[in-house]
Amino acid sequence: MSTFSILLALVCAICIAGLIRRYARHRARLFAPPGKTRAESAQTAHNPPPGLAGRMGRAARSAARSLAAAVTDVLLLWRTARTSPYRWLAHTLILSGFTGLLVFHALDDIISYPYIAGYESTLDPWQWLRNLFGAMVLCGAGLAVLRRLRTPALRRLSRVQDWLLLAAVAGIVGSGFALEAVKIISPHVFTRMTDEYFLPQDETELAALRAYWSTVNGVIFTPPASTDPALLEQGAQLNENNCVYCHAETASAFVSRALATAVSPAAAPLNNARADQLLWYLHVGLALLALACMPYGKFLHPIATPLNLVARQGSRNAAGPADIPADIPTDTPPDIPTKAPAAATASPPSPVSPPSPSGAQRRLGLEACTRCGECSLHCSVAPAYTVVGNPNILPSEKLLSLRRYTEGSLLPAATDAFAEGSRICTECLRCTDICPSGINLQDLWLASKSSLKKEELDGPNTTIRQCSAAQWANVLGAQGKSRFEQEKGDGLADRAESFWGCVQCTTCTSVCPVVAVCEAPAKDLDLMPQQIMNLLRMGLKDEALGVRMVWSCTTCYKCQEHCPQDVPVADILFELRQIATERFKERRLTSCPLPAVSPVRIPPVDGGTGPTGPTMATTSTAATVATAATVTNPGTALEPNTAPAAHTGTSDPSTGTPA
Amino acid sequence: MRYAYFPGCKIPHHLPEYGASVHTVCTALGIELVPVEFACCGWPIRHENPMASIYSAVRNFAVAAKAGLPIVTPCKCCFGNLRYAQSRMASDARLAAAVGNLLGREGLAVPAHTEVHHLLTVLDKDVGASRLREMTRTPLSGLRVACHYGCHALRPGNVTEFDDPLAPSVFERVLSATGAQTLDWDLRVECCGHPLRGRDDAISDALMRKKLENARDAGADVVATACTYCQMQFGQERSRLSQPALPQAVLFTRLLEAALGLAPLPDSWAL
Repeated sequence: MSTFSILLALVCAICIAGLIRRYARHRARLFAPPGKTRAESAQTAHNPPPGLAGRMGRAARSAARSLAAAVTDVLLLWRTARTSPYRWLAHTLILSGFTGLLVFHALDDIISYPYIAGYESTLDPWQWLRNLFGAMVLCGAGLAVLRRLRTPALRRLSRVQDWLLLAAVAGIVGSGFALEAVKIISPHVFTRMTDEYFLPQDETELAALRAYWSTVNGVIFTPPASTDPALLEQGAQLNENNCVYCHAETASAFVSRALATAVSPAAAPLNNARADQLLWYLHVGLALLALACMPYGKFLHPIATPLNLVARQGSRNAAGPADIPADIPTDTPPDIPTKAPAAATASPPSPVSPPSPSGAQRRLGLEACTRCGECSLHCSVAPAYTVVGNPNILPSEKLLSLRRYTEGSLLPAATDAFAEGSRICTECLRCTDICPSGINLQDLWLASKSSLKKEELDGPNTTIRQCSAAQWANVLGAQGKSRFEQEKGDGLADRAESFWGCVQCTTCTSVCPVVAVCEAPAKDLDLMPQQIMNLLRMGLKDEALGVRMVWSCTTCYKCQEHCPQDVPVADILFELRQIATERFKERRLTSCPLPAVSPVRIPPVDGGTGPTGPTMATTSTAATVATAATVTNPGTALEPNTAPAAHTGTSDPSTGTPA
Repeated sequence: MRYAYFPGCKIPHHLPEYGASVHTVCTALGIELVPVEFACCGWPIRHENPMASIYSAVRNFAVAAKAGLPIVTPCKCCFGNLRYAQSRMASDARLAAAVGNLLGREGLAVPAHTEVHHLLTVLDKDVGASRLREMTRTPLSGLRVACHYGCHALRPGNVTEFDDPLAPSVFERVLSATGAQTLDWDLRVECCGHPLRGRDDAISDALMRKKLENARDAGADVVATACTYCQMQFGQERSRLSQPALPQAVLFTRLLEAALGLAPLPDSWAL
């Protein structure tokens, strides 16, 4: 067994071990297992499974779709051509060139020699084809590098692995060309061949063959071979009789021969240093290294992406290729009360919910990304990335975090960034439609969002509800203004003139639909809109940040529309949410740092015993806010119609019926 | 009548039937919807980052200006946020400069003026009720429709300039041209509750129920919507409500499709 075989076996073993490790790393616990939703189970119960003929028909249709996807999406890269003809050209060159090299050249012992009659790597058309394939790969890789450099958005997103894969591909092919070139000029290689396959009759025959190979095929001897025409004539005859069965002229290796000509001035030192041997080690070493890297990052995509494309059967939406509409009658499933998923709707226009993809399909999708960046270049919320600067807003980058999230190896800070990116995604389906690798991104986002929600990591709106307004007043008040607030300067809520007109007429509260549907507004919402305005008028902005009313505002703008004094009530509530979000972000707060309030509200035991804390928090929140206000700002005299007014009849929202 | 079509983010996955019916109706009425790759209108992120929201909206204006077309959207929330961004840009020079700066980095510029329309306004102004009436093949006579306006287009009225914020009429004008009987109901300009979906589901449900009950009490057969979010709320989220007898919500473009003879009349509309 040669050293090469041992190395190859070793690298294959590393590759397989890496693949197994990569597949096993996903933890189902973190990434909600797909399982059937209640609606789907109900559907299955409702529709008996089809008979044998039906099942076979379905399997045949499915196989046909997979085959079609293999041709159009894998071989022709049709998905890529839709959005980026430039990238299609680059990737087609690399794909076809590299496949050609792999099949005819790298695997020639397994494929070319046994199956192609008269195959010899140094005969045409193989020698010429090898150069053509190699040139295609290099051109494609060059175009790919240019694409990443020329598009500023893509250049920002390109990471080490993106450049590394391109470098590996170009390195393998480039070193191959270099190897062929130095072999062309090498007298050592010539001598090895003649020692093995040429039996000279006399001394002049070898000199004649040298002369011929030097002139025609570019071997560079030291001292130079003779150029005597008679000797060349004899050499040509000898070449005809001995060499042409295995060797076409090196001119057909058009890239390597040109390279050989280019390096010919340095022929002597190259030949002396046995560059042909060194470059063989480099070429084979790079190829083996790339094979060993296969389980990591996007090096896996030559396996995972075609598999994913075939599994997706050409589908470009989240529903997947299931032939639901054909086989299952579209009558609506029985009404399922409680938390039925959004897709399980009872309204006729909505389609029957598609089955969720299986866990294996999701894992395949997670691994199939080629990081081409098309999704991020077309992402609907890319402008938010421009402003916020969190790469997790963009699908290609969020997918990296999602992979770590499913593995459970995402650090807390990275998890917050991932959660923010997930929250900002508007589920517009564009990345899924565009993805040249056919990844069902929409399904991955929907699943990871619901997983984040279960962990209460879905954003400030959830965090703020984890403790009371009074507790938040303490926490956020102590923190002071965020950098965002300082840069922005005084907002609506800071400016006294925003509230100058406010006469506490309670119009905003009485038209508020949220107040109107609450059975106990003071308990459910803490403070009414006009009370919040009054709090802000007194400069108690921190006390308003955690108030339920602020976070349960439905943004219908009725308050603002109806305000007789033109106070921008709804805009101010927007601003309070934005401020709280920024303060959370600045302090990386994803949960209340204080002991949470017990969800069961206990009547006040001993009101006003001290500053806010767990004991205080159990009292009515509105009262607590008022107390907190007193504690934080002892100098501010609370007017009678501020916070505690929630208990009096003056602002009882049940009396203020909306129009 | 050529417009840059702004479907908004939710139509492709969450409400594809809206997109399909908008296209059918517009084609039939000679309104050309030019596909332009817009970004998000900025509405969803407005709760947490005002700059990202405004920038997202204004970037769309720059894209529309490149296409040289006015924007039309079938979504009230997209419409509202785009209009809101316009008003903020006009009133806050510091913000406008910052947005212009960011756009410049992408090789775009803040256009001087961009027309933003909701599809209802386009149907009302460009097509007109009289032409709609002429083109109606299957009059929806006898169908009692409660038009649900959608908050973000109506209010704040001085920002959106959609219709009279207290007594709007455009929706009724368009739908009564189909022969349907439009109702005057108490809560027609109230919120559907969707903005609180996922943030406060209890209140969101309560708002939805109250509104649908009010439409039922006013005698409505269906509630007509002209907003992606409102329809998602009344269509997909209503399975949370235990009362089955509430009127069904129908996208106004589907009513128009039926009236113009482009789609059959569903039995469930109780005609």
